[in-house]
Formats: sequence, C-alpha cells, structure tokens
Amino acid sequence: MNKPQPLLAIRGLTKQFGAVEVLKGVDLDLNQGDVVSIIGSSGSGKTTLLRCVNLLEEYQGGDIVLDGETIGYRSANGRRHRLGDRELSRQRAMTGMVFQSFNLFPHLSAAGNVMLGLRKVLKLPKAEARAIAEKWLARVGLAARADHYPSQLSGGQQQRVAIARALAMNPKLVLLDEVTSALDPELVQEVLNTVKGIAEDGATLLIVTHEMRFARDVSSRVVFMEQGRIHEEGPAAEIFGNPKSARLAEFLRNTRH
Amino acid sequence: MQAFLDQLWIARWPLWDGLLLTAGIAAAAIAFGTLLGGIVGVQLAYAPWWLRLPFRLYVDIMRGTPVLVLILAAFYIPAVAGLSLGPTEAGTLALTLFAGAHIGELLRGSLQAIPPGQAEAGRSIGLTFPQLLAYVLLPQAARSALPPWINTGVELIKGSSLLSIIGVGELLLRTQEVIGRTFMTIQFYIFAGIVYLVINIALDQLGKSLERRVGQH
Repeated sequence: MNKPQPLLAIRGLTKQFGAVEVLKGVDLDLNQGDVVSIIGSSGSGKTTLLRCVNLLEEYQGGDIVLDGETIGYRSANGRRHRLGDRELSRQRAMTGMVFQSFNLFPHLSAAGNVMLGLRKVLKLPKAEARAIAEKWLARVGLAARADHYPSQLSGGQQQRVAIARALAMNPKLVLLDEVTSALDPELVQEVLNTVKGIAEDGATLLIVTHEMRFARDVSSRVVFMEQGRIHEEGPAAEIFGNPKSARLAEFLRNTRH
Repeated sequence: MQAFLDQLWIARWPLWDGLLLTAGIAAAAIAFGTLLGGIVGVQLAYAPWWLRLPFRLYVDIMRGTPVLVLILAAFYIPAVAGLSLGPTEAGTLALTLFAGAHIGELLRGSLQAIPPGQAEAGRSIGLTFPQLLAYVLLPQAARSALPPWINTGVELIKGSSLLSIIGVGELLLRTQEVIGRTFMTIQFYIFAGIVYLVINIALDQLGKSLERRVGQH
C-alpha cells in the first residue's frame, strides 16, 4: 500500500523574532481527518507555529506544503520571496482559524460574520451564503442567535460563532489557537463540545490547547513542543499515559493539579 | 427693534444667498475633504514609511498652518502659477485641503485603534487587503471617527466665515455689506452669530443621533 500524500506537511520550519529563535526546525505531517493537538509550556512556539501555517507570520526557513501546494513563499534563483496579497489571501482561505480572543467583527451580526467570507471570498449569492451561515450556526447550537451582534452574545457563544465562521468556508484544515483560554470556566465546556462535534464530523484539526483532558479525548495524535522544537509526539494515550522523555513527564505533572 | 426687523426683511435675499453659499462651501469641503482624508488616513495607517512620508508632511503642514493663511495661499498662489481660481473655488480648495488633513489624521487614529485581531480574522477567512479595508476596518473606524468628523464639519462652517477676506459672498460678507448700508452693526452681527450657532448646534445634534444609531452594536 502506498502512503497517501499528507494534507499538511511542515518541513524544517524556522522562525526568528529579531535575535530570538522561536522555531528551530519543526517537521509535522497531518493527514486528512487527523486531529492533532499541540501542547507545551508558553513560549514553546506552538501558537507561532499555528500562525505560520495560516500565513499570519513570516518565517525564515523551511516549507509548508498544504494539499500539495507550497504556501507563503516562492523560490526564484535560490532566493525566497513572500507571495503577494492576492496569492496569500487565496492560500489563507484554504485554512480556517479560530482565535483565542474570538475576533468576531463587532459591526456584523452572527450571520453577517459567517457570511462575509462566503460573499466576498467565495463570491456566493446572498441567499446561498445566508443558508450556509444558518446551517453552520445551527451546527454550533446558535440557530436562534443568527441576528444577534457579538456584543449581545456570551464569550462561549461568540467563540462558537467564530468556529462557524471558520468552518463555513469549507477549509481543508482548521487551526484552533487556545480557543478556550479567554473564556469563563463555566463556558469552556460548550466550546470544547462544539470542537469535539466537528472533529467527529471528520474535519482536519490542528489544535493548540492547555486543556489536557480535552487534548486526550479529541486527538488522534499529540505533539509536545519545547523551546521551538517538537520534543515528543505520538498517540494521545501514549503521550499522556506513558511519556518517554523526562521533560514531557515533568510538564504533564505540572499541568495536572 | 422694528427698524432692525424692517432692514432684515429688506436684506433677506442677500443674507439667504450668503447662508446658502456658506452651507454649500462647507458641504463641498467636507465631501471632498472626506474623500481626500480617506486616502490620507489609510496611507498614514498602513503604507510603508517612504509612501507615508509625503502624506505625513501634508497633514502636518495643513494642521500647523492657520486656516486664514491657507485661504490666502489658495487664493494667491494659483494666480502666480498662472491658474485663475475665483474666490469661491480658491476658498473651497483651501477648506478641502484643511478638512482632508484633519479627517486623514483622525481616520488614522481610528484605524490604529482597531485591535490587530480584527485584521487577522479578516485575513484568515481569505480577504485581500482592499476587501479587509472595505468590509472590516473602515466600517469600524468610521464609527469611532464619526464624532470628530462632525466636529470637523462644525469647524468648516465656522472657518468658511474667513472666506469673506478674499471676497466670497458668504454669510459674513453679506452681513457686513448690509451693515455698511444700514449701520446697524451690533444687531446684524448678533443675527449672523445666532445663525452660525443654530447651524452648528443642529449639526452637533445630527451627529449625536447618528452616533446613537450606529453605536448600538
């Protein structure tokens, strides 16, 4: 049996912020339908990695290949050039991103938030965009809130709208960046359940999270990052049940209270 | 009092024409100034430094110069360059340049006050930069820029009275002409003052009600 081409292939990714090396050569593969969680202490580079995949950050070395296409840069005469606005936008539309701080557009209703990309990027007619938005808002349990504005929604509801906004674009890959970190404790579960639901629907997810139990429940694979490198990776049960490295064992001890 | 009212009645059409010209010049200046300021504000907020520089220079020069000097410059400099602008055109040009600089600067402030997560969220769904501006950033900036924008309109109504210096027949010059004929100095100046006040208070109220309407969300 030949190995299928991975949906996302990160090869030797390096990134510096000035003199500080944030990513020191990261390699990671995701196949269609994979749910991969990245764990690690803050400053380990996990959020930066996610932002590189969505082309929100520039990176100095390595390649990111999404569904066979090298994204973000082109090489000419041995030199790397950042792609232009139009190309970057097209490639960004292939991935969806959900942010820690929701980042809903405050001047648009819940449905308006979901519809913006459908209308302006995918160029769908209004009625069709509205139907898709309503379908996704129903999927995240907010059918009755379609015409509410972000300021009229709780944090958990806002984050679920943000999830609907990302998924409605039918992305190949969804990136979730600490999506429950800004929520009140009692609102965390509704968002995690929503994410679990879309994982069960077969979406390909790359998740940065501090919720260890959630990572264990939802992930097919868990990646432990430490100081800009992948320190250990494996099936969730192994990472949490039987960590190989002392550093991971220590990290897990410190996060379990 | 009766004598003043009689004179006011006699002078009603010149004064009315002056009022219309004041309103027309201010409206033209705010309309063109908003277009100009829109371009300037976006450049100041997002352009690379070498492109930002000329816009920054323009804004600082306009904001650092008294409006009266701008008006005189717009009136005399084109004439030296062989361009003949009438007083009304020159005055409108000066006030437009003045408004463009102020609106550009306040739009820059509003754009830069938008949390960076908004642009990132827009980018992540695949919006190009012009789309991001049109559908995410400018609508939000316009809300917070609305009160100072109305304020710029009030400044323009007041500033237009300076155009009487270069002979534009707006409200103040028409008032002065009536005074020259009737010698009712205090009465007609007070009358003109009240007219300016009423326009500006109305503009202010309009702004407040707009603010309430867009500020709901």
